[in-house]
Amino acid sequence: MRQKSYLYTLLAAFLLTGSLLHAQQGEMKATISYAPAMPVGSFKDHINKTSLNGWNANLQYGISDKFSIGGGVGFNDFYKKYPRQIYKTGEGSDISAVLTNSVQVIPVTVNARYHFMPESKVQPYAGINIGANIIMYEELLGEYSNDSKSTVGFTGSPVAGVFIPFSKTGLTGIDLGAAYNYMPFKYGDINGLDNLSVRLGISFPLRN
Amino acid sequence: MKTIFLISAGALLLATTACTKNAADRLSDDESRIYITNHDETAAFTSYSTFSIADSVALIDNNQFTKRERTPFDAQLIDAFVAQMQQKGYTRVAANANPDLGITVNRVYNDYSGLINYGDYWNYYGGYWDPYYWGYPGYSYYYPSFYGVYTITDGAIQADMVDLKNAASSNKLKVIWDGMIRGAGTFDQSKIDQNVSALFTQSDYLKTNQ
Repeated sequence: MRQKSYLYTLLAAFLLTGSLLHAQQGEMKATISYAPAMPVGSFKDHINKTSLNGWNANLQYGISDKFSIGGGVGFNDFYKKYPRQIYKTGEGSDISAVLTNSVQVIPVTVNARYHFMPESKVQPYAGINIGANIIMYEELLGEYSNDSKSTVGFTGSPVAGVFIPFSKTGLTGIDLGAAYNYMPFKYGDINGLDNLSVRLGISFPLRN
Repeated sequence: MKTIFLISAGALLLATTACTKNAADRLSDDESRIYITNHDETAAFTSYSTFSIADSVALIDNNQFTKRERTPFDAQLIDAFVAQMQQKGYTRVAANANPDLGITVNRVYNDYSGLINYGDYWNYYGGYWDPYYWGYPGYSYYYPSFYGVYTITDGAIQADMVDLKNAASSNKLKVIWDGMIRGAGTFDQSKIDQNVSALFTQSDYLKTNQ
């Protein structure tokens, strides 16, 4: 309860602050980013290779100049193949194969951002994305699927970054950020797909 | 403008998803192949000294025996098995010279798919060879109980090794070793030696003391 009232106070503070400034309030902004991601935690034990095939698209609406909400969708493709090895697969049974782990994630989230200095040349922000995560997992032995699982899970990502507008009051600019993507997924001996992503994007206003 | 963004974002996502290579497509031919061997752990491989190998290859199409062939590919394939057995110390003899072991080689083509379940990875392809071939008409092939039947998706080279030495006393043709090659390049003639060698490399128990 106490936590709830704290959140309300914080939200009210954002709105109040926003009412004093007018640069982003009421504006819809889109950001499209290249977002490579590096597996962390136990996910790294299965795939230790950074996904260079990562993308993210966000829409943010300015509730106030300092607070915005929105939604986004992303994509990352994690992939790692291990050199050929002989795996003992049963009594008297052996298989020699190159083992591949492949994971694709598509997070679909709602986002909230707090913009610390909305009128400065470099505008830092922090926020959170929460939503659903479409997960496609596959393990291959050679070219043959040995195990696979597709599911929808939860995802939550604290994010932080900076927006660098091309002009002093403009909404178009470069967006640089990082996010810790918490992605629970339990299957076999996999326990989580957490990863750390960086984002290099371009933001622009959407005006009707 | 919003519509344009939504369409662009959707298109971007679709493009990245669609352009993401299937995991199997990122493998070279050599990486895509798998080599599977099963053996009867109760078999004393060192107690055998001679072997005979069928001089043609059986074609099995969707679990139907089609014919036996000896194309240049098949001849080289048989020679590769002979060379590997000889490297392991076994001596090749004629089929009518009481060999201890009998080897048959098959080319297998199937259309349907399935996940690899390696606990059950076994087949009865050797059973397509008439026991008469080994001089034991009326005998049945016997596969150790821990082996299961598995279906495969594409072409494979498969070989069985039958215990002929103890056939008369056990009244059965016991298959004591099975090898299978699957994946891209399985039927590439230049890969025959490499592929057959891989089966024997992972079967280090195959050796004779005789």
